[in-house]
Amino acid sequence: MTEAVQNISQPQIEAENLSLWYGEKQVLKNISIKIPRNSVTALIGPSGSGKSTFIRCLNRMNDLIKNCRVEGKVLIEGKDIYAPDVDVVELRKKVGMVFQKPNPFPMSIYDNVAYGPRIHGVNKKDLDSIVEQALRSAAIWEETSDRLKSSALSLSGGQQQRLCIARTLAVKPRIILFDEPTSALDPISTARIEDLITNLKKDYTIVIVTHNMQQAARISDYTGFFLSGELIEFDQTRQIFHNPKEKSTEDYITGRFG
Amino acid sequence: MIGMVRERYLEQLNLLKESVLSLGEMVKLIFRDSMTSVINLDIELASKTLALEPEVDRLEEEIETSIFDLLALQQPMASDLRLVVSTLKITADLRRIVGLSINIAKIPGRIKGGHVKPLIDTRKMADIAGFMLENSLKAFETQDVELAKAAAARDDEVDKLFYAVWVELIEMMAKDTSIISRATNLLFLIRYLERIADHCCNMCESVVYLATAERVKLN
Repeated sequence: MTEAVQNISQPQIEAENLSLWYGEKQVLKNISIKIPRNSVTALIGPSGSGKSTFIRCLNRMNDLIKNCRVEGKVLIEGKDIYAPDVDVVELRKKVGMVFQKPNPFPMSIYDNVAYGPRIHGVNKKDLDSIVEQALRSAAIWEETSDRLKSSALSLSGGQQQRLCIARTLAVKPRIILFDEPTSALDPISTARIEDLITNLKKDYTIVIVTHNMQQAARISDYTGFFLSGELIEFDQTRQIFHNPKEKSTEDYITGRFG
Repeated sequence: MIGMVRERYLEQLNLLKESVLSLGEMVKLIFRDSMTSVINLDIELASKTLALEPEVDRLEEEIETSIFDLLALQQPMASDLRLVVSTLKITADLRRIVGLSINIAKIPGRIKGGHVKPLIDTRKMADIAGFMLENSLKAFETQDVELAKAAAARDDEVDKLFYAVWVELIEMMAKDTSIISRATNLLFLIRYLERIADHCCNMCESVVYLATAERVKLN
């Protein structure tokens, strides 16, 4: 880890010796990481290395899995999110998530975006502007403004994914977690999502799990390499792709892994 | 386990390194023979040396093509990226050394009636430049940073000899204008040798980058 990464002060996300088990199986081993505000952090590593499990710890999505046990700390803006007084619904509002496969609700484009704000009790009269703002921020307003009442399922895969990003933005999160958001998209849609992530960085802190190494290199400021449940190396992206410190990182990103 | 496609990629990287080393062998030969031809004013050896240039061009083009293919098709990362980038730069330096050696090999055809002075310091310069060339290539092969730095450190000796011979030749020409034509060829010769040593330094810098990702200035 270079000094630039060691000296991250006041991280927005911090894990301290985070371990996680599914039943008997330990899936995360003593993960410690500090992620600064308004940055894009990419997590790379082979399938089953714990990347997705790790980001699911950041908004307690793993709570939904039976027999899941967590040890260690996750601090979001300095607050331990596994403390007993934490409201998980509020936490997930603050820490939004976008998944691999676009998963719009089977309802209109408008209602998809309005869904979250409605649940959180936003006034009807404010909804229109929230929906428009979210769709604009997710770079899909131009394509949908004249058909907000159409079914979200009529959109293309890339549009659906941007709609899901709009849906996440509508509840005004501080952090957005992306779990392989472009793995099901063509290169043009992928480029649009990558542009979008780069633009969102100024207002949000972003953590993205990706199998696409070039994508990690293109859009992230920091990169973490996971292997067998351990965070092997975490550093500035430039450092990781130019001159990684650990041999297993080098082997993975140069395709010599195995 | 890595797949067939990845194995092919690793093979291409190895091949690239080997091609640069073979180019290096050829450059050493051309440099050595060009110097021998100028010392002995051996026109036959000089013309044999000149005839090797097209083969160097072919090899250079082959190396560049495989570098462009690797960059476009394989997107090398980390140490692979550094290998590809440094071989591109080293190949350019080797090609310049060949260009300068070819200039040297053209000198015997221009000098009539022997050298204006014994080539003692000039031979020393050539020996050091040859040492630098040999060792910068060896350092590239083994990624030996210390060897690269040691090779580059000898550039100062070449520079000192260059200035000493330069001054000596200018003084000789001032005293005897009839030697100007022959002496000027020697001035060019030492200038070429000084430049060859500089290109060896560049190669050593590329070796340090290859091995450590650090950018250093060695001359």
